[in-house]
Amino acid sequence: MGFLKVEDLKVHFPIKGGLFGRTLDYVRAVDGVSFTLEKGKTYGLVGESGSGKSTTGRAIIGLNHVTSGKVYFEDKEITGETKAKSDFRKDIQMIFQDPYSSLNPKKRVIDLVAEPIRNFEKLTRKEERIRVQELLELVGLNPESILKYPHEFSGGQRQRIGIARAIALKPKLIIADEPVSALDVSVQAQVLNFMKEIQDELDLTYLFISHDLGVIKHMCDHIGIMYKGRYVEEGSAKEIFENPQHIYTKRLVAAIPDIDPRKREEMKQFRAEVNTEYEQSYNDYFNEEGLAYGLKPISDTHLVALPEKG
Amino acid sequence: MEANTTNVEIKTKEVIKSPSGFSVVGRELIKDKLALISLIFLIGITAFVYGTALFLDQDEIVRVDLFSIYEPPGEEFILGTDYGGRDVFGQLIIGTRNSLSIAILVTLMTGIIGILYGLISGYFGGHVDNIMMRILDFFLILPFTMIVIAFVAIVPKYGVWTFSLIMTAFLWMQIARLVRSKALAEKELDYIQAARTLGTTNFKIMFRHLLPNVSSIIIVTMTLNLAANIGLESGLSFLGFGFPESTPSLGTLLSYARNPQTLEYRWWIWVPASLMILLLMLAVNNVGTALRRAVDARQRRG
Repeated sequence: MGFLKVEDLKVHFPIKGGLFGRTLDYVRAVDGVSFTLEKGKTYGLVGESGSGKSTTGRAIIGLNHVTSGKVYFEDKEITGETKAKSDFRKDIQMIFQDPYSSLNPKKRVIDLVAEPIRNFEKLTRKEERIRVQELLELVGLNPESILKYPHEFSGGQRQRIGIARAIALKPKLIIADEPVSALDVSVQAQVLNFMKEIQDELDLTYLFISHDLGVIKHMCDHIGIMYKGRYVEEGSAKEIFENPQHIYTKRLVAAIPDIDPRKREEMKQFRAEVNTEYEQSYNDYFNEEGLAYGLKPISDTHLVALPEKG
Repeated sequence: MEANTTNVEIKTKEVIKSPSGFSVVGRELIKDKLALISLIFLIGITAFVYGTALFLDQDEIVRVDLFSIYEPPGEEFILGTDYGGRDVFGQLIIGTRNSLSIAILVTLMTGIIGILYGLISGYFGGHVDNIMMRILDFFLILPFTMIVIAFVAIVPKYGVWTFSLIMTAFLWMQIARLVRSKALAEKELDYIQAARTLGTTNFKIMFRHLLPNVSSIIIVTMTLNLAANIGLESGLSFLGFGFPESTPSLGTLLSYARNPQTLEYRWWIWVPASLMILLLMLAVNNVGTALRRAVDARQRRG
């Protein structure tokens, strides 16, 4: 079995209403998602807003209640584990999207970064301080700033504090939930390259959640495309970007901007073509409810959601 | 390594700190002269009352002396005597101490219970919240005054502690609801979720993450509650359901004014106590509003 295996994961949120708050219906945020992660690789989860990619990540780490399905980490089931001191908590960490709200504003950097260390390891004050300073140095922050508060840092620096905190316990898997979408572009590249560097250094596996295809292309080995809580296509980065099979993926890939101005007209026409194709063949690719069909393999690694008739 | 860390330690001490909570409050008080005077007055009166009360014997003061009934203020009795010939000044000092002690005790105890209750209810949410809030609703609908009156009738002898406890039993709900609503909003923020992924226990999240972030509103509310609680004891004693005359408080002194003779001709018995209540409540309120402004950056003056 794989390093992290997700089987038919479903996360449904009840819609309450009517008399006595009855459950009227469910929002199917994640509706049957399966995938496997290989150790040391980066797996990208892509989709538009509300496609369930963040919910998938949060359900794996136990922040969202799992309706059905199973999550295995190193062959051990971790579905719905809520205990604070579970073993896997040390091995799976998360980087949050918003570097402003994900750091407690009342705590100093040393307390923020040392929090996981204090939860799982017994270190003296001095050892702890040295560890925190090493971590800060690793993420490219001044080790002397351990007594500062988060609001004294810029967005990019705050995200680095978040990363330092996530790697403090030397985890095996990091779930990065849009780690750079709140940062400006110049800082994005910095943080991404840095994440790649520590991946090699610490032998990390990333589950990289993003809506930015450029970022995904830069980071990921394998990619899963989500739409309305379901997978529409899964494959290696090369397969997805060079040979997209599903019309939704085609449209996404066509939307990646090209920096060459001489190709502007060409790209515009190409996009228009893809868009007409999308509108014409929408019914062939999605069922009556507008949801994707089940995945069908078209090569060893490449899976596409195609209807039964083919 | 050794030399390296000490070097870092020296340097970190030089780092300029962001304005701490205390300096923000300090600046606010300097800008708001009324609040500053109020605070000095409060500290002064508290120190004076608690200090002087140490040298006064309560039993001596409340002993009836038939030879000096209704003495006007003079050399022997600075503020005269009441209908039992008891020294009003001594009663005022002891009474202020008792009233202040009750107000502070009630505020602290309601604060602790309310914070615990609100934090648990707000943090866990869902069914826990639902059940705890229904219990709280039950306490809210209890007729407070009636139960206190019944309590006075049942318990023959009671003092500062018992009185504070019975008041606390009916006054913790407001702060519990406030803390709960704040905790409900705050726990949805990413840093609480992050703490959970870092393996922090619920207990630690509640007290190390949630509590510091709702503390400012708690401090402000508790200060303003303190003002209200001074009045509460006086009100009940005035109605005759507070302390007996053997335990002087601001309320018992005030209740002598129910006698029309005293109200009209013997001002020295009730005016000092009334002034004391008025000044204390105003002063605490002034400090409380200054604190409230200090907490909200948009309202700050300093």
